This record gives sequence, structure tokens and C-alpha cells, in this order.
Amino acid sequence: MADTKQIDQIESPGPSRNRRIADAIKRNRARATVLGVLAVLFLAAMAGIEADQWFGTIMKALAAGSVIFLVASGFQLIFGLMDVLNLAHGELFMLGAYVGWTVYTRFDTFLDVLVPMLLVAAPFALLPLWRRLGARVAALARWARSAAWGLIVLGGGLMLLSITKFPLVIWNAEDFAKTPANYSVQIDLGTLVPLPEDVFGWPMAVAIVVLLAGASALALGLSSLRKHAGAVPPLGRWNLIGAAGLIVASVALHLVRGPLNDWVFGMSTTWRFFIALIVASLLGAGLGALIEVVLIRPLYDRPIYTLMVTLGVGFVIIETVKELWGSSNFTMARPAAFNGSGEGCPAEGIGGFFSGCSTLVVFGSRLRVYNEGFVVVIGILVLIGVSLLLKRTRIGMTIRAGVQDPEMVEALGINVRRVFTMVFALGAGLAAFGGVLAAPSIGLYTEMGALFLLTAIVALAIGGLTSFPGVAAGALLIGLLQQIIIRFGQTGIHIPFVAEPFKPSPTLVPAASIILMIVILLVLPAGLFGRGER
Amino acid sequence: MSLLDLHDVHTFIGKFHILEGVSVEVPQGSVVALLGRNGAGKTTTLKTILGLTPASSGRVVFDGDDIVEMRSFDIAAMGIGYVPEHRAIFADLSVEENLRIAERRKGDLERREELIFGLFPDLKRLIGLPGTSLSGGQQQMLAVARALVPENRLLLIDEPSEGLAPVLIEQMIEAIARLSDTTTVLLVEQNFLVASRLGTTYVIIEEGRSVKTGDMTDLVDDDETIQRYLGV
Ligand SMILES: Nc1ncnc2c1ncn2[C@@H]1O[C@H](COP(=O)(O)OP(=O)(O)OP(=O)(O)O)[C@@H](O)[C@H]1O
Ligand SMILES: [Mg+2]
Repeated sequence: MADTKQIDQIESPGPSRNRRIADAIKRNRARATVLGVLAVLFLAAMAGIEADQWFGTIMKALAAGSVIFLVASGFQLIFGLMDVLNLAHGELFMLGAYVGWTVYTRFDTFLDVLVPMLLVAAPFALLPLWRRLGARVAALARWARSAAWGLIVLGGGLMLLSITKFPLVIWNAEDFAKTPANYSVQIDLGTLVPLPEDVFGWPMAVAIVVLLAGASALALGLSSLRKHAGAVPPLGRWNLIGAAGLIVASVALHLVRGPLNDWVFGMSTTWRFFIALIVASLLGAGLGALIEVVLIRPLYDRPIYTLMVTLGVGFVIIETVKELWGSSNFTMARPAAFNGSGEGCPAEGIGGFFSGCSTLVVFGSRLRVYNEGFVVVIGILVLIGVSLLLKRTRIGMTIRAGVQDPEMVEALGINVRRVFTMVFALGAGLAAFGGVLAAPSIGLYTEMGALFLLTAIVALAIGGLTSFPGVAAGALLIGLLQQIIIRFGQTGIHIPFVAEPFKPSPTLVPAASIILMIVILLVLPAGLFGRGER
Repeated sequence: MSLLDLHDVHTFIGKFHILEGVSVEVPQGSVVALLGRNGAGKTTTLKTILGLTPASSGRVVFDGDDIVEMRSFDIAAMGIGYVPEHRAIFADLSVEENLRIAERRKGDLERREELIFGLFPDLKRLIGLPGTSLSGGQQQMLAVARALVPENRLLLIDEPSEGLAPVLIEQMIEAIARLSDTTTVLLVEQNFLVASRLGTTYVIIEEGRSVKTGDMTDLVDDDETIQRYLGV
């Protein structure tokens, strides 16, 4: 309030001040009306639901909204800040779920894959070297681009060739009897999946050297794509220590992976779940950064192309997942902390969680602690966390400024592109995180990405594409709509003069949310909290 | 030796040949006024120095280094501050954040606080407000203040008096004169009275070429040149 007082003392920036105030009132009147109507509809719907189901319906709506929000938030960050519609976003969500499932259910496979990954990362620790050599390649003038891409293809080829010689347990036809669905059951029962034998296709040393060579060629190729070398930092001691450390870590990991797997398997699944969350988010963020640098960055001026490219990336991810995991749908067991049952369950009241129940009866509604509790809490924490990141940190400040005027931010000496890459990584990381979080309650299937992205986009349009809190509002609204329809599907709506109560089926949800979106957009073209076209 | 030296610089924007040979010398400690009619290429010259519209040929030497090939943020980080035409205040940032974002090292703002609020005492009182709730004059001061947050060796200032009331113009002249005691300035200014009071030397640009240069004191008495290149 103190602020408004001060604003009055400042001379107004234009003659149209009264007009702007009038506009603001008008805009907010429309918004207030819409919010009012939504509130009345909500109360009307609640009146049709028995009182003991209120709490449950609202919590379920929050839970559904929370997952939608996790998908929509990353998508909104990338779109709102960079004007890029990342159509692969849903697939990053889906990939996150699959990767999270793997770390959670098949930790041994995660360790298997980590061994070559550390080797691939090792040459990248020597970045100053590649950049210096890259400048030489770039000096080839006419042949520079072909040489760079040649190196990238060569590197990729060598890596692919040698990775297949590493002992990776990725499901193949012979393993069919042990499908992912089977592993899920075994984990649920707490039985250890026997480790397969690990045999290198080539002598171990050869596989390692070829992989290192491939990764080096890739790093050099990528470095030579840069137009301006800029100031290259010298190749320091830490670069060498980093590279050597990664190689040693990789070999060491390979040697101890058996005992390490047993040890991790002995831990509570809750811990493994958190490891899965972290690994999948980091992987999602890394993949997001890679997509931005390699595919989006050259296309900023051509939005249609970015659309096509991200769509293509989405399909590649779907096919890769089908190939590696098999196309079967499967489930992920809830972590131990949320999987308690037994004597006295479902318990009455929230306190029941601490006596080890995973299902509680609160205010007459039966709720699952994971689905309707944990997921909601995490969704709210992400909302608060990202808002604080944008509002309170230097990187957030740079992002907000960079959206408006990247040129000016650059003129202040800030590498705007790196900031945008970080935004992309953050958005993709959030998607993957959401995937892992949602997997225990919604299961895994390759179409989940497209489905949730569509819902997320509807939620975004409702909340306002330009507003981060608007995303949460839109997601919540869709969640409510979905749960209310499901509830009325069970009880039915009594329509006057019609004998049979109308029972909406859950398949009406997508159509209903799109109708809600259209109605809201007709009244508020920028959505509930959007700020109009930029 | 000059702090900044542009030699026969050519710049394309898209396929338009905008600068067709600009040479500007900015000696250490001077205030060089870049003059010329609307659309002559003054703003483009500043943007070319910063690499925002990179030169296609010619040399841009800052403190002995050729910076033509460098990326904008690396150029700026060498110690060049930019006050763009039309201010470019960040709307989503508060006044303090608009200053804070220019920090190159943590605490720059605190170190330079005395200087900045000494020149623009008004800003201190406005520090918590959103950047765009300021008036035009206040935004202009904020834009100059922002360029002062890190210790820059060269300031590129584009039309600081544009759209300001006479009182504010006087305040702006005062401020630039005071900061030019410690910093070298390349100033674009349409208002000849302002330019003549601040500049030590001048460069006239016409249709993308630098056509005349000399001491400001000589130009003030040279009605013919003023009429020919700057008159309306
Ligand atoms: N993005 C652009 N595309 C095409 N032409 C441009 C672009 N930007 C500037 N120009 C042209 O380049 C010329 C020089 O522009 P510049 O902004 O440098 O002029 P100026 O001397 O700063 O003018 P003013 O005094 O009006 O600010 C003008 O003729 C302008 O029309
Ligand atoms: Mg200009």
C-alpha cells in the first residue's frame, strides 16, 4: 500500500493515464465476473456431492492439478520466456517416468548405463582443449562446417558402436519373460532381481578407448561449430583432474557395481525413489539443454521450424522408449513410506500416516497418502520454489530481463543464450521430475506424454500463457473439473423432467475442459491471469 | 593512444548497407560527440561497437584489442557501458533490480552507490518501485545510472536529452559532465546545445559515413558546417 502512495507522486508517464486506469478496471471486471461465475459453479457442484465426499473430491482435484501443473509449468517457462513451443515436453515427462522407474526398480541397469556415460562425459571436461582445436577447424573456412559435422557423425558412430559392446541389461526379446511389469511386481514383493552376467563384447580396454575417442570427436565437432571463439580459458589442472577422475570413477563403478547394487537394494525404497527423482530430473535437464543448444538455438528466428523439430524429437523419444523398455504399459510401486498397510488401516485422520498407513480416511473421504498427499505437497513446493527462483535470485532477474530485451541484457555483459539454455534445462528437468512423481499414481505408458501435454496446454490457456501463477490456477481448475465429472459419473445429476439421472462418463473430461477453455478465452482472451498479447 | 578506435567500419543490417565507412577516434578521457541527422547511422555505430550489429569489415579497437569478432557480452564485460536510445528499462524489474542486473561482480552497486545517488538523488527514493512506473526523465536517469554500476572505462550514451523537459536536460548535462571527469564518453546527441556543452571533439556522420571531425570549440563557431550537416 505504501507503494501506491509513492506512485501517485510520480508524474504519469503518458497522457493516457485515465484511460489506462479505465482499461484496467474494465479488464478486471471481466476477470472478476469470470472468477465469480466459476466460484458459483463450484459451489453448485459441491451442493450436488454428499458432504463426506467434499474433502476427498477437492484433494483428488489438487492431486490431478498438481501433476498437470508439473507438466505445464516447465512448458510455460520455456514458452513464456523464450517464445518456444516445446512439443517434446510431454515426451520429456514420459521419459522422466521411465528413467525414474528404471533407477527405482532396476538400479543395476542404471549402474550399467552410468559406466559408459561417465566415460562419455570425461572428454567434455577438457572443453578448453576442444575449443582451441575447434578454432583451428573453424579456420578451414569453406570446409569448416562439413568438417565439424563430419566429426560429430564420426564421434556419434564410434560411441554407438562401442556402447553396444558394454554389458548393458536393456530388455531384449530373450528377456521377455522378465518384462518391466514383472520387475515391478518383484520390487513390490521385495525380491532382488538376479544380476545377469556382464560380458564385454570387446576386450574392456578396447571398448573404453573407442568410446573415449568417439566422445572426443563429438566434443571437438561441437566446439568447431561455434562462430566466435571468444576468450578461451587455458586448459587448467582441474580439467585434467576432472577427465581422469571421470574415467577412474567409471572403471571403479564397473568393478563395484555388484556389491553397490546389493547395498542400494537393501535400502528403503523411499531412498531409491529420491535417487530416481534426482537422476531423472538431472537427465531431463541435461537433455533439455542439449536440445536447446543443438536444435533450437539455430532456429530462434523460425518458430515454425522449432515446432517441427520439437515434434520430431518427441517422436524419437517415444520410439526410443518403446525400443528400450518394450511398449508394454507397467506400473511403479509406491515408495515404502507411502505403501504401509496392515493392522488398523485405513486409519482415521491424518495422524494415521505416522502409524504406517498409506490410506487414510479424512473427513469421511478415503485418501491415498501418496496420490492425494505427497504429490500435492510437492506440486505446491515446486510452485513456491520456481516463483522464488524467478523473483528472488539473480538468475531469475536475468531471465525476466532477458525475456523483455535480450539485446540490452547482452549489452550489460551477460551471456543471454546461456541463461536461455538454463531455462530450457529447468523446464525439461521439471517435466522429467513430474514424470517420476506421477508414475506411482498413474502408471507408465508411452502415450502419457502427449496426453498430459495436451491437458497442460489447455490449463495454460485457461490460466494465461504469460503468467506463472496462472499455470497453477489453470491446472487446479482442470483438476476440479475432472474430479467433479468423475464424481457425478458415480452419483448422476438429476435433471428436471428426466427420469434417469444423467451420468457423465470420465471420457467427457477432455471435451469438458476444452469447452471450459473456449468459454474462458472468449471472455478473457489472455486467460485468467494473462497480461494480454506481448 | 585512443581508448577506442573505429577505422573504416562497414555494417549491414539484413541486406541493407547501413554503415559505409565510419571512422571515429575516442581518446582516453575525452567526450566525443557523434552528430548527424535522423537516420544517419549514429545508433548503428554504437551498436556496432558493442557487436549488437557486428561490423562486416573495418577495425574496432578497444584498448589495443580488435573487438570486431567478439561476442557482445564479452565486449561489454571489457568495460563498456551502454545507455541505449529509448532507455530500455526492464519493465518486470524494480528500480533496484534494474541497477543490480548490471553488476559484474557481487557488490558493485554498493561500491558505486555514493557516485550514482550523488548524481541522481531522485533514484534513491524510487528504489523499490517497478522500473516502468517511473517518468520518462526518471527512466533516463536510471538508464545512465545502470551504466555506472560496474566500473566501466567507456560509456556509450545515445540521446540522453531526448524527450526531457528543460530542467531535466540541465540535470542530465550536469550529471554527464561530472561523470566524464572519470570516464571516457562517446555521446550521440541531436540537441546541438547539449552536445556542444559536453563534447570535447565531434564526429559528424552522414548517410552512414563519417564526414567531418574536429574540436568542438571550432564547430560552435562554424555556422556553415552546422547548417550543412545538422540544420533542418
Ligand atoms: N533493423 C533495421 N533494418 C533496416 N534498416 C535499419 C534498421 N535499423 C536501422 N536502419 C536504418 O539504418 C539507418 C541508420 O539508423 P540509426 O538508427 O543508426 O540512425 P540514427 O542516426 O541513430 O538516427 P536517429 O537520430 O533517428 O536515432 C536508418 O536509415 C535506418 O532506417
Ligand atoms: Mg539513433
